[in-house]
Amino acid sequence: MAMEEHVEEEKQQLGFPYWKSIPRSLGPESPFFASGNIERELLAKQVALDLTEDEKHQLQNMVVEEGGGIFCPIVGCGSRLTSLENFEDHYNARHTASCSVCSRVYPTSRLLSIHVSELHDSFFQAKVARGYAVYECLVEGCGLKFKSYKSRQRHLVDKHKFPSSFEFYKKAHLSKKQRQKLQRKHHKREEDSCMEVENESIDGLISGISKLSTSDSPSSVSFGRRHTRGLTFVPRAVQHEKMPDPTSAGTKR
Amino acid sequence: MADESLAFHRRDPIKSSVGNVAANRRRQNAVTVGKERRESLVRAKRLCRVGISGDADADVSLDNEMMIDEEQSILEAQTSSAVEGLKSAVAYQGKGAMQKRVSALRDLRRLLSKSEFPPVEAALKAGAIPILVQCLSFGSQDEQLLEAAWCLTNIAAGKPEETEALLPALPLLIAHLGEKSSLSVAEQCAWALGNVAGEGEKLRSVLLSQGALLPLARMMLPNKGSTVRTSAWALSNLIKGPDPKAATELVRIDGVLDAIVRHLKKADDELATEVAWVVVYLSALSNVATSMLVKNDVLQLLVDRLATSNSLQLLIPVLRSLGNLVAGDSQTIYAVLVPGHEITDGVIKVLVKCLSCEHRVLKKEAAWVLSNIAAGSVEHKRLINSSEAVPLLLRLLSTAPFDIRKEVAYVLGNLCVAPNEGDGKPNLILEHLVSLVSGGCLPGFIDLVRSADTEAARVGLQFMELVLRGMPNGEGPKLVEREDGIDAMERFQFHENEDLRNMANGLVDKYFGERLWA
Repeated sequence: MAMEEHVEEEKQQLGFPYWKSIPRSLGPESPFFASGNIERELLAKQVALDLTEDEKHQLQNMVVEEGGGIFCPIVGCGSRLTSLENFEDHYNARHTASCSVCSRVYPTSRLLSIHVSELHDSFFQAKVARGYAVYECLVEGCGLKFKSYKSRQRHLVDKHKFPSSFEFYKKAHLSKKQRQKLQRKHHKREEDSCMEVENESIDGLISGISKLSTSDSPSSVSFGRRHTRGLTFVPRAVQHEKMPDPTSAGTKR
Repeated sequence: MADESLAFHRRDPIKSSVGNVAANRRRQNAVTVGKERRESLVRAKRLCRVGISGDADADVSLDNEMMIDEEQSILEAQTSSAVEGLKSAVAYQGKGAMQKRVSALRDLRRLLSKSEFPPVEAALKAGAIPILVQCLSFGSQDEQLLEAAWCLTNIAAGKPEETEALLPALPLLIAHLGEKSSLSVAEQCAWALGNVAGEGEKLRSVLLSQGALLPLARMMLPNKGSTVRTSAWALSNLIKGPDPKAATELVRIDGVLDAIVRHLKKADDELATEVAWVVVYLSALSNVATSMLVKNDVLQLLVDRLATSNSLQLLIPVLRSLGNLVAGDSQTIYAVLVPGHEITDGVIKVLVKCLSCEHRVLKKEAAWVLSNIAAGSVEHKRLINSSEAVPLLLRLLSTAPFDIRKEVAYVLGNLCVAPNEGDGKPNLILEHLVSLVSGGCLPGFIDLVRSADTEAARVGLQFMELVLRGMPNGEGPKLVEREDGIDAMERFQFHENEDLRNMANGLVDKYFGERLWA
């Protein structure tokens, strides 16, 4: 135990590459200077004025292409980006698959559907309760399945080098208004019971869900841009546990 | 013979009509012409279309139309026969042989100076190089040497394999740089060699081992003339490396440093531009050169040029030279750039001028230079923080194109962090952090976190760590959250870069760990 804590502390200290104020020297061949070099040659040939807008763009892109091009960095995507400025559009178009139930957003439809099975599908929980291995590995192509969230988590960390702080059931953050509301409620309760709720919440949620009937499952999921929903769907069974009141879980863009 | 005041970069008459006809042409043959044209535009080589020496040649009004296919093949046929004509002229031993040779050379030269893509391949196929080498033999008349060198210049101005074809001619071209040659012959040879050097490392090293550096350097010593300009340009191509040896050798040649200083101080824009490029490569590649330049007050000369000139062509290499010197040996530079001294104020002032101008390249590179000054002592940081640079930088961080924003981020971040002292967490300069954050810099950094560029995302995350750690009264997390910083960081959960994932997760866990369940 003590060892683990020490390692954790060290990680905290050494883990983050803090901003260091150091000069950056660049060699003459650095891609940083490429656009200036091109400008030099164009000006010398006095053709800058003759270039069409298209050609100017093409020349700029040549620099990027020579640097290897830009690709989307989201796992499993690899799409070629025409320019860095377009990345936001690409991200919003392709990586914001959102759950119609709780508005959580995922970068691929596969992860979204895993989320929906694990958190909004009573069939899934029923299978878990009967001991089937239904927790899929999140890494596309791996194919392994596990009997519990924790064992899948361990697999992700051990085999696929996910950070140990990674949580697929990452806590969604609430809007300012929702948090203020919640905070007011929490001030009334004791700190301890609040903590208890958080720790138990996964198990509580799961056991609650496993008591559900099929009519509680959502019938569709939506993809595309994020949207806020009025109310979270929280299974009736779960509401009976000590959970915070169902609040709208609209997440901010 | 040489009219030394002639413009080197005289506006080429071809340009105006190339405009319309070329546009049509391009639309017809979009792909191949586009690519070839693009490549030829960005090459470090230059075609010689108009004579160096005030050509009395009446035919210099060039064929202004852009070639269409049939005309191109006619041109190629004409070129082949011109080469054949030259071969027989050289073989001829009788009366008027010299005139015949010059006339034949001139025919070939004209064919190689027209159109956007001269018929170099046709010339090479017909065997132009060996015959041109013969025309360069010692003792030949100046006119003959000039025309032959001109032909070779344009042969070398295109594709790599065409430039490489000049290998057999190099020793003679170098030899004719000598001080006994006429100025125009030397200049034309320098031009040809500049094209060869502009091709690549391999040819550069051949030229250097054949001894091209010294004669070219000598040509740069006089005060004015197109020869000085051409040789400076050729030198900039010759020393650009990546092997730094040539740069160090050049600056050590007697008279070179003095000439550089003189030209930076007094030369017209065109000459100063080429000399500034020489300084760019000297300062980028050679520590010896950097220290010699700094000791000879070149820094002040660069600042003066930046302050007084508005020519983009000149400003680019001058700014970059300044940047290279600042990024170079820190001991040397900080001995000169003392906060409080006039020169330091001067440097910041011209950098602000560049940051406020409309040219993307200047803005980006000026921000880079400023970021290195901001990486200096605490006094340097205070100096910049209280200058007119900051409001400008904050604006740029929100509105400029991506590459500029990234550099600006480095300036601002460096202002907030104390000078590096070995390992461990660097100290914050709280005053600066607070004022920049209240100046509204946080959204800009969070935007960088969202970008697809690894370096930018890293910079953004590092700055966010400063804010989260350093803002007083625990305000950091609130501020970050308000600007959708958590959202930006959570993107990294599914990011392919493990370091970035760890950085982002680490920050979220540490500062937002106690989030409530939804």
